[in-house]
Amino acid sequence: MRWSRIAPQLALTPALAITAVAFVGSIGWTIYLSFTRSRRLPEYGIDWSEWGRQYDRLFRDAGWEISLRNLIVLGLGSALAIVFGFILAAMIDKEKRGESFFRTVFLYPLAVSLIVTGAAWRWILNPTLGAQSFLRSLGWEVDFNWLAQGDTAMYAIILASVWQSAGFYMALMLAGLKGINTEIWSAAKLDGVPLWRVYLEIIIPMMKFTFITCAILLSLGVIKAYDVVVAMTNGGPGQSTWVPAYFTINALSAKSNLGYASAAAVMMLVITLVVFIPLVALTVWQQRKREAAR
Amino acid sequence: MPAVSFEHIVKRYGAVTVLDDLNLAIEDGDFLVLLGPSGCGKTTLLNLLAGLLEVSDGRITIGDRDVTELDPKDRGLAMVFQSYALYPTKTVRGNLKFGLAASKLPSEEVERRIAWVAKMLQIEPLLDRKPAQLSGGQRQRVAIGRAIIKKVDVFLFDEPLSNLDAKLRTEMRLEIKKLHDELKSTVVYVTHDQIEAMTMATKIAVMDGGVIQQFGTPDEVYEHPANLFVAGFIGAPAMNMRSATLAVKAGKVEAVFKSGARLDVSDYPFQAPARDGLPVVIGMRPEHFTIGEPASGGTAQFTLPVLSAERTGSDATLYLTFEDEMLALRVAPDLAAGLRVGSTVPVQFQAGKANLFDAQTGRRI
Amino acid sequence: MSQVSVSERAAAAGEVPVTRAPYFVRKKKGITPRSIAVLVFLTICALFFCVPLYVVVVTSFKTMDQIREGAIFTLPHIWTLEAWDHAWNHACSGIKCDGLKVGFWNSVSILFPSLILSISLAMVTGFALALWNVRWAGGFLFLLFICAFVPFQIIMYPLIVMTTTTKIYGTLWAVAVIHAVLAMPVLTLIFRNYYKDIPTEIMSAAMMDSGSFWRIFFEIIVPMSGNILIVVLILQITSIWNDYLIGVTFGGLTGQPMTVNLANLITISTGTTNYAHNMAAALLTAIPPLVVYFLVGKLFVQGVTAGAIKG
Repeated sequence: MRWSRIAPQLALTPALAITAVAFVGSIGWTIYLSFTRSRRLPEYGIDWSEWGRQYDRLFRDAGWEISLRNLIVLGLGSALAIVFGFILAAMIDKEKRGESFFRTVFLYPLAVSLIVTGAAWRWILNPTLGAQSFLRSLGWEVDFNWLAQGDTAMYAIILASVWQSAGFYMALMLAGLKGINTEIWSAAKLDGVPLWRVYLEIIIPMMKFTFITCAILLSLGVIKAYDVVVAMTNGGPGQSTWVPAYFTINALSAKSNLGYASAAAVMMLVITLVVFIPLVALTVWQQRKREAAR
Repeated sequence: MPAVSFEHIVKRYGAVTVLDDLNLAIEDGDFLVLLGPSGCGKTTLLNLLAGLLEVSDGRITIGDRDVTELDPKDRGLAMVFQSYALYPTKTVRGNLKFGLAASKLPSEEVERRIAWVAKMLQIEPLLDRKPAQLSGGQRQRVAIGRAIIKKVDVFLFDEPLSNLDAKLRTEMRLEIKKLHDELKSTVVYVTHDQIEAMTMATKIAVMDGGVIQQFGTPDEVYEHPANLFVAGFIGAPAMNMRSATLAVKAGKVEAVFKSGARLDVSDYPFQAPARDGLPVVIGMRPEHFTIGEPASGGTAQFTLPVLSAERTGSDATLYLTFEDEMLALRVAPDLAAGLRVGSTVPVQFQAGKANLFDAQTGRRI
Repeated sequence: MSQVSVSERAAAAGEVPVTRAPYFVRKKKGITPRSIAVLVFLTICALFFCVPLYVVVVTSFKTMDQIREGAIFTLPHIWTLEAWDHAWNHACSGIKCDGLKVGFWNSVSILFPSLILSISLAMVTGFALALWNVRWAGGFLFLLFICAFVPFQIIMYPLIVMTTTTKIYGTLWAVAVIHAVLAMPVLTLIFRNYYKDIPTEIMSAAMMDSGSFWRIFFEIIVPMSGNILIVVLILQITSIWNDYLIGVTFGGLTGQPMTVNLANLITISTGTTNYAHNMAAALLTAIPPLVVYFLVGKLFVQGVTAGAIKG
């Protein structure tokens, strides 16, 4: 037997064990639990006559419905970060002056914990002492009391997450823009095409991979959004800012309902897969394209 | 006892068979060059010997040991790579030392060997530099040093000179040859460059399509190519090939070209008696032609129009038209200078030096 | 989890082409009106991005009296470190009021073992997958790729049970180990992609010279990993330090990192909120990653974009 065949396999055992136990095994375990009636402690018997009872309850739960709706709202709202990131990147890329300064400024929120982000925005949005009172003292009648009202609290969360992540998408877009051949600009200039049309009709279509990547990363980030909700609103007022990630952890820790939390977690996995499968397809597609180009 | 032998080697990648039932044995002290175009399987064969690839079937022995199932480090080989493969973060000394990583030698012996290699390859002043600070030729020396420091019996070279410029290549060629003479070791050397093969090898294995087309000394391979592939691959300018038919009459054998021109090949050493009417391909080396009126018999004469002449200084290649195709001749440069394009010249070919191949099988007859 | 981990996903995805066009050297000409407009817009955006930092910083130096005046953007009348002192030494997290320093040292104690564990594991695994002939490497890589995207919630309860069984639940070790476990797939993919670009001939040479997995790893591969190591290090420092969910789930009462202390402080619903204390606490939590960011910002950018995304 050749040692060179055994050594790497031995070296891979820890990673393999972790994958098998902490990922594959754990996912299976949670899926199994979602079919049981487990409450505070796990019960491993499955009542086959109503194995889907946790899911039945979940779909009828108003809190879950709110969570799903908020997920979509948050996703659409956070998409502003991509738009904003692209605009910033395009401007920085075209202007070149102060590139590294602006990049540093736009990206620093990413280095900070979302709990800190939440704390800061919570304070700015404070109705009596924050930005609202300041602007009113200037004579502007604005309503920034978003956090206290159920129908606007999500906007506050969106604001904080856009602030936090716009720089990240800017950086991705900037990398994408730098990959575009500079001759295109010269060609467009010679043809006398106005700049906005160059962006709309040439640059953006050329950057579709970057945009799709950003969209997928954003979706995955939104599904996982938890910290920002805790820090900004802690789910409130009422259940108005619940998202699936919050719902699941709440079901496990506050309600101590293991089976129910597992069902919610499985639904989160399903949502992730819906986003993830196009990503795999995209990767494969791109790889084929790259190989075809060779 | 052969130094290295391949027995019934099969190598498959999935459904693709790269080598099929290949056999080859090299004697101790041989300098074997595996020569062939890219994709012919020569590098695969070398990597199988090195243990970097695994055979699908067959047996490899080095000396009296079966190494088929051994790890590369246990095979008692050293290898020099095309891109030198020096460890970029190690100094030259560190690279040489790592060459002995598997040998568990005492450190005095390691130092002694580094000194020996450095002296032999004249890299003493470079010992504390990193590969990035070395020129191409210096890196090549270090790569060779990292191989010979192991003092093994068999050295492998994988196109080691292809990244060097022409002048350095000539220098290193001589140097590798010298090393082989000094170390008296066995060398397996892969290249697609026939000059390297002709100048350094004691044995050449010409490969194509995963098959060894011919195995022999450089002279054998050059003068008696075993088939059309070898004939066409070796030699620059390439051997001139023309289709013809044999005509055997009263003990005289003639090759009849399509145009009707005839060449007396009675002197050709046929391996089997020549058969009348056999379609053949005649191979004629450019240097076996002479220009001018015929001397005494035994030479055939053609009168051919001049197409162009290329002079390289020491040498000249004259291109004539023969059988509607270009015929390359090696001639003296001053002779080529005196010829006008479009004029015709008398040409003699030494029929005894012809190479005859069966047009159907491509094999030498 | 945080956006930083989203950026790690980007690493695995390997999407964005990073071929950098050579800098387009243009003639220096006078500033055009369009340039001015762009620069003004960018500056306004930059100011918007700086507002929260500015507000947090000035608030942390104010007295509560001034804060009650409601002028959030004004500079402190009297610069005071009282809030910083309070946040560091006396802020309450749950029932204990020993300040954020407890959480700070917890975070530090989580950070180092977690960094060592996660990076060494990922390096070795990436090395074995990229440069050694392992038959099932392809399948395993795909599995890791999937694992990198799995939401934490689906493995949360089993991991709690496992850490409880091994009696590390509620300790710093639980947090550190879980960080290493969760980061393993992404980091492995990053290292694997990096090592894949090492010329095969170097690996072949090392196989002939030594053949020893660990010797090649330590003598050849680790010294060649400088760039990617720093990028990953920065990525991991920020993501471990900024994490909240794992800390709150596995830290129990004694193993809480700084972010959990901070969250407890700002979400407290009883009594009057002292915003100066909160902002000082927030700033204390934010300083370590910000220092890293401003010191090696270029590498951080590389970490979240080109370097990590390199496919």
